Amino acid sequence: MTDLGKLRNFSIIAHIDHGKSTLSDRLIELCHGVEQREMENQLLDNMDLERERGITIKARAIRLVYTAQNGEDYVLNLIDTPGHVDFNYEVSRSLAACEGAVLVVDAAQGIEAQTLANAYLAVDANLEVLPVVNKIDLPAARPEEVKHEIEDVIGLPAMDAPEISAKNGINISAVLEDIVAHVPAPTGDRSAPMRALIFDSQYDAYRGVIVYLRVMDGVIRTGDEVRMMASGARYRVLEVGYLHPIGMTPTDALGAGEVGYFTASIKDVADTKVGDTVTSVQNPAASPLPGYHEAQPMVYCGIYPADGARYADLKDALEKLKLNDASLSYEPETSTALGFGFRCGFLGLLHMEIIEERLEREFNLDLITTAPNVVYRITKTDHTVLLVDNPADFPPTVEIEQGEEPFVKASIIAPPEYVGSIMDMCQNRRGEYQDMTYLDKTRVEIHYIMPLNEIIYDFFDALKSKTRGYASLDYTLVGYRPSKLVKLDILLNGDVIDALSFIVFEERAYQRARKIVEKLKDNIPRQMFEIPVQAAIGGKVIARETIKALRKDVLAKCYGGDITRKKKLLEKQKEGKKKMRQFGTVSVPGEAFMAVLKLDSED
Amino acid sequence: MEQGKTLGIYVHIPFCRSKCEYCDFYSIGGSRDRDLMDRYVQALVTHIRETARGAGDYLVDTVYFGGGTPSFFGADGLKRILGELYKRFDIAPDAEITMEANPDSVSLRELRALRRAGFNRISLGVQNDADEMLKALGRPHTYGQAVSAVRVAREAGFDNLSLDLMYGLPNQTRAQWMNTLRHVVELKPEHLSCYGLKVEPGTPLAGYEDCANLPDDDAQADMYLYAVSALESYGYNQYEISNFARTGFESLHNLRYWLGGEYLGFGPAAASNFAGKRFTCAPDLPGYIDGIAHGGAILSECVQIPMRERAGEYLMLRLRTAAGIEEEEYVKTFLMAFRPLERELKQYAEQGFAEYQRGRWRLTPKGFLVSNQIIGKLLDTQHASSTLSKK
Repeated sequence: MTDLGKLRNFSIIAHIDHGKSTLSDRLIELCHGVEQREMENQLLDNMDLERERGITIKARAIRLVYTAQNGEDYVLNLIDTPGHVDFNYEVSRSLAACEGAVLVVDAAQGIEAQTLANAYLAVDANLEVLPVVNKIDLPAARPEEVKHEIEDVIGLPAMDAPEISAKNGINISAVLEDIVAHVPAPTGDRSAPMRALIFDSQYDAYRGVIVYLRVMDGVIRTGDEVRMMASGARYRVLEVGYLHPIGMTPTDALGAGEVGYFTASIKDVADTKVGDTVTSVQNPAASPLPGYHEAQPMVYCGIYPADGARYADLKDALEKLKLNDASLSYEPETSTALGFGFRCGFLGLLHMEIIEERLEREFNLDLITTAPNVVYRITKTDHTVLLVDNPADFPPTVEIEQGEEPFVKASIIAPPEYVGSIMDMCQNRRGEYQDMTYLDKTRVEIHYIMPLNEIIYDFFDALKSKTRGYASLDYTLVGYRPSKLVKLDILLNGDVIDALSFIVFEERAYQRARKIVEKLKDNIPRQMFEIPVQAAIGGKVIARETIKALRKDVLAKCYGGDITRKKKLLEKQKEGKKKMRQFGTVSVPGEAFMAVLKLDSED
Repeated sequence: MEQGKTLGIYVHIPFCRSKCEYCDFYSIGGSRDRDLMDRYVQALVTHIRETARGAGDYLVDTVYFGGGTPSFFGADGLKRILGELYKRFDIAPDAEITMEANPDSVSLRELRALRRAGFNRISLGVQNDADEMLKALGRPHTYGQAVSAVRVAREAGFDNLSLDLMYGLPNQTRAQWMNTLRHVVELKPEHLSCYGLKVEPGTPLAGYEDCANLPDDDAQADMYLYAVSALESYGYNQYEISNFARTGFESLHNLRYWLGGEYLGFGPAAASNFAGKRFTCAPDLPGYIDGIAHGGAILSECVQIPMRERAGEYLMLRLRTAAGIEEEEYVKTFLMAFRPLERELKQYAEQGFAEYQRGRWRLTPKGFLVSNQIIGKLLDTQHASSTLSKK
């Protein structure tokens, strides 16, 4: 066990792309945590997808030994945090495991929405926040201005902040010295009953769940019987140890202040949820550590295999992803339109996209996904309250006393010239203007209260394109507000296509309905009969288009008796048909669903 | 000799004056290369001689010279090839012997010679009655040339003439097509083929398809339906999707393709259906000449067609014809149940796509227009239904 005085536990926080992962790599190098040749770029992000998107999905932690300029060796525990708004809770738990945070700010871009969001999280967690100005090698770097910005906007002293280039390895040791000098050593009583905070976990096929934890009080030892205070799960500890950039080292015990892992043949990550407190069964703590709550899915959608025969593969893939991701929820769902699939819950839109992409990429599945849905709260006339995450569960309009939908406070930071179009966008999405602050001459922070429903489709994409990529977005849930909600059904040839139903704010229903029927008309190929495409609320049709009957699909000539061409044509037709979904007599290509989901990107 | 085994022969002539904008058939456009043509005749002669040994018990009742442009190839070459066929095969005295011709490459002298050699039917590529349309398609002739070619063919003694027309052309209106039909009927051909223009990948037309101002599918469908009814009123019976004839002048050779009959093809890209197999020569003229001369491989494809697939071909090909399909014929030949097909055909009949006449099921003109869809669905049904013999 390391002396408390020689321990420093810290996180690195930053807006996306400001250089958090690159700085982590440099710190590891400087501490000789990894041999150069083993060093892959951005070691902490070890999923391909993370590397590709440049974001960190799952937190990781590593233990570094740094010999400071005063000649003393310090143990630095670097706890990586996920960098996206969907994972705010995970970020907060990672921060709760630290005493300090290095706030990386891009010297050219300055403060962005997540810089602020993360800095506030760190300040709220009582961390010592150490600003660092990164990317000073860029021609557009303006470190002095950015330091002023940090002082003015966040209120952190920043004049002495190290100016570094993580990419080029400039001035990295200044960051390490800052950490040693300014991050407080952890406190904690190693003789008290054991309490440790779970800030992450990872499933390993051989050892079960590897639980990442920060010990707050007492000592956890191999052989201890432990209990998770929230989930109630009990296990006997098989191994405790330290985490390294590559691999782990078992040790006999972890004491208060230390960061490491334990294993106990745990089969289910749900037993060891992020934020839960581990305590000893023999000598339990009186109360758990503060701040635990279950991560609640905010966005739901149906996920179906494009090829119905691959349902079992999809189930298998979701089970595997769930092993590492307790915040992913799913349950079987049946759609008359799409067959067997799953209703999946996600922390947010990015979380949903990541899961979909991993399913497609790592498990080689073609998916059809239904429109994302937030969780609506419906009070019925008999005063029962329903939480509706699926349009199929939406009660008939006459049974609804009141509908409510979740609202968020959105913070958007962008150059002033885009303020007009951003405000238009927010207004169009039922945003309620709060306030606007000039961070400096080049950036404005705008606050809106908006329905989450309006954000989950593709608000972020639209925002990026309207502002040529300059805007950044962060949002936090502020609770439910009453809202006049209706369920919009889509009918093809007179039959409701359940997979296309969705819940919508009443005043938006007509506009959405028009667009959807037009989109479907354009994306469903003409067939041998005329197909009406209708949108209806409770049986009342509010929009209609017609797909005209196909009139010509013929091979005029079978030349010289060469019928192989015709055979090939028919085979191709058959292949195409396999990708279609059959709705009664109507065939609908998977793309038609996608087209409907992408509706908002064009307005 | 076994009674009643008949055979068709197809000879491919892959030479043209120039390539048309829309054409993706195998042929070489450009000036006449006498040497290449001679070597090609020699290769065909050898190929015919060698192949004929395996077809001794067949009576050949149709011969078809297609292309390319056989008339452009010249009478001497065509006569030599046909002469070889007469020498090596048992050709019926009343066999239908067709050659394709373009209006710019026919002369009275040559046609007379060909008529004497045994050709008795000409299929002339007319396509349209407006010179600017012909020019846009890359056709190397005018409508005036087509009119005189018809006269010349009559004078040379051809009393079975077919004219090829195309609809759905760039900038074509329904009125323009109606005029073409009216004018062409005045030439009094015994037979007419009307093909919808299809943009084939790799053709020049495909390169500028988007700005070619092609009539849309609805307009093409209207042109087609107009042609069917107009030609009917002029006394031409529709006997296949794209083919119309006065009674008794149906193309026997083309019918053979649709009725599943046997035929042998000679020349690059020529297809055969013979002795249970379908095979095709590679579309490669030098390769063909070389392969024949030195005993190399000339086929690009050769497959044995199992009975089940023949059953599919039966639907696919017969439903192109006005005669259509028939239950007993189907059940006896393939030992498969007709009921599932019939159920579906009845639905199509309700929608006006099919009809049941004199014991046979056929597609209506409206059904022909979407025949790919209908045939595709019937093949699925056929595939799903079990054979009678398994019961």
